[in-house]
Amino acid sequence: MVAANEQNKNGILLELEDVHMSFGKVKALNGISLKVRKGQIHSIIGPNGAGKTVMMNVINGLYHPQKGGVFFKGQKINHLKPYVRAKLGLARTFQKVEVFGGMTVLDNIRLGRHIHYKSGILSGSLYLGKSAKEEIEHRTFIEEEIIDLLEIESIRNKPVGMLPYGLQKRVELGRALALGPEILILDEPLAGLNLEEVEDMARFILDVNEEKRWKLTCILVEHDMGVVMDLSDKIFVLNFGNMILDGTPEEVQNNPEVIKAYLGEEDLYSTRG
Amino acid sequence: MSTTWLPCGNYHQNYVEDHAWWQTKFIKGKMIFLALILFFVIPFFADSYILSVCNLIGYTILGALGVQLLIGFCGQITLGHAAFVAVGAYTSTLLILEFPWPKIILDLGLAYPISIIIAAFTAGIWSVLFGLPSARVKGFYLILTTMAAQFITVDLILTQYVSQIGGRGQAFSLPPGTIKLGPWVIDSDLKVYFMMLFLVILCTIVMANLLRSKVGRAWVAIRDNDISAEVMGINVFKYKLLAFFVAGSIGGIAGAFWISNLAAISPDHFPWFWSLWLVGVILIGGAGSIHGAIFGSLFMVLIMEGLQLAVMPLADTFPKLLMDFLFIKEAAFGLAICAFMIFEPNGIAYRWWQIKNYFNLWPFSY
Repeated sequence: MVAANEQNKNGILLELEDVHMSFGKVKALNGISLKVRKGQIHSIIGPNGAGKTVMMNVINGLYHPQKGGVFFKGQKINHLKPYVRAKLGLARTFQKVEVFGGMTVLDNIRLGRHIHYKSGILSGSLYLGKSAKEEIEHRTFIEEEIIDLLEIESIRNKPVGMLPYGLQKRVELGRALALGPEILILDEPLAGLNLEEVEDMARFILDVNEEKRWKLTCILVEHDMGVVMDLSDKIFVLNFGNMILDGTPEEVQNNPEVIKAYLGEEDLYSTRG
Repeated sequence: MSTTWLPCGNYHQNYVEDHAWWQTKFIKGKMIFLALILFFVIPFFADSYILSVCNLIGYTILGALGVQLLIGFCGQITLGHAAFVAVGAYTSTLLILEFPWPKIILDLGLAYPISIIIAAFTAGIWSVLFGLPSARVKGFYLILTTMAAQFITVDLILTQYVSQIGGRGQAFSLPPGTIKLGPWVIDSDLKVYFMMLFLVILCTIVMANLLRSKVGRAWVAIRDNDISAEVMGINVFKYKLLAFFVAGSIGGIAGAFWISNLAAISPDHFPWFWSLWLVGVILIGGAGSIHGAIFGSLFMVLIMEGLQLAVMPLADTFPKLLMDFLFIKEAAFGLAICAFMIFEPNGIAYRWWQIKNYFNLWPFSY
């Protein structure tokens, strides 16, 4: 508990401590330690196969590390299942969009609020009183806070499976926001988007990070260096399961090892557009 | 699937209107018209044969609703649903025949209604038991574990053990007058018909309401993407079991209802083919919609009855046809499924939706 208090004082929301994760003989994570402070955008970069997504899966519980600890607000959450971690306030989006294709945009976002709905199977089956009222309350929240923020009013009743990729990514973000998380894990939110969509998405990320209503801590896994350098407060560089550096964007840009491992010998700002 | 089309320029003013079932006057009128036909036209103008066909349709709908929930909404493929229908039927029968009911309950005619509720509950629990493997296995592998439900329940437990209760051997006969619903003795097709209407409407409403509230959304999420469902805070295993429970309960209601239409029940009424049949019904009707269960049941029962009517006149010249009707029926079933898989894989419900959309926009194409 001493550790927990200390962590809260330092404003550390999420911490990985010496995490080891291997699949057979492949060491995907090799003693990774990460401290994410409240209110920051902490980016994670690294070449393909560096273990970024494995790290995200360890954080939200899809993988359980063989060694090491995952702490959320000072509480060890290693043994918790993903759905329990969601209730604690961890939300994420996926690299390949994992929306519920057969449901409408509205239902996808409603599903994100699953943990906030109270009605059970009996009141749900009658849809009277409490259950119906609850639907209206959450609908109001969704419309005012999420659909309005993400500018998806016109598609709210469309099945998500039929939407273009960029909008699906946006719906996925909306679904994660609906959870009302404290930490938002964004696994390549910009992959496969065109320039305009990238700008929109970057704006949304900044919005939820800075707006008083949200104030979300974000963990951002991304390849688009221009965006990463602009948005991040801190950057964590990963290469073949090993940490290279955890520092500010300037430090990362000037670190020769990072440049060699990931950015190549060429110009750092090899962003699109 | 999609929201209601409103006339141009009309908008909902609040979320209550937007969440309502029947959002326009036209739809309300249509549903009232349907209710009039169901409650007044059919019962008073149809003969006993048509009523019995309607009852069979209702029974199929009740069975198919549970299968639709598991396969169409929760993505858990099941091939043993007849087992849960059987559990419902047997629970209800045994309760009526063997349970020492207090006289007052018998006099009030409550024994059967109470037995239906208990049957629903028992079948639900039984279904949860066979839903347990769904924690570990998915998709095709689940087919085998649910088939186990069929063979263990019907072929082993019901045939070998339950049927021996009371020393009757194969079947339990239900003497006329045993099935009493309040003041009415269910002894005619008409009374069965009204009971069927009540139960089908009740189960449809329950299903539809569940699907637009927390539980139903969680089911659909598990169907579409179970990993991200879990990440969004859904206890996947719990909701899968809940789906098995509700599906089993509706199956149990179907079974408990169907005994009112039978003079005796035996394990032969719940063969494995009936499980397969129910899956066929929802594939033809359209997986993933309540309409699908209803349209599929209508289609299958009507086709089979039509086939029977068509075969009858030929029977004089080809007596073998009548003898082999069971095979003709199975062949027609297979043919219908093949045809639907090729020409309309989304089922009749999807076609219905397209037709509705066409007329909503008519005379413009979009």
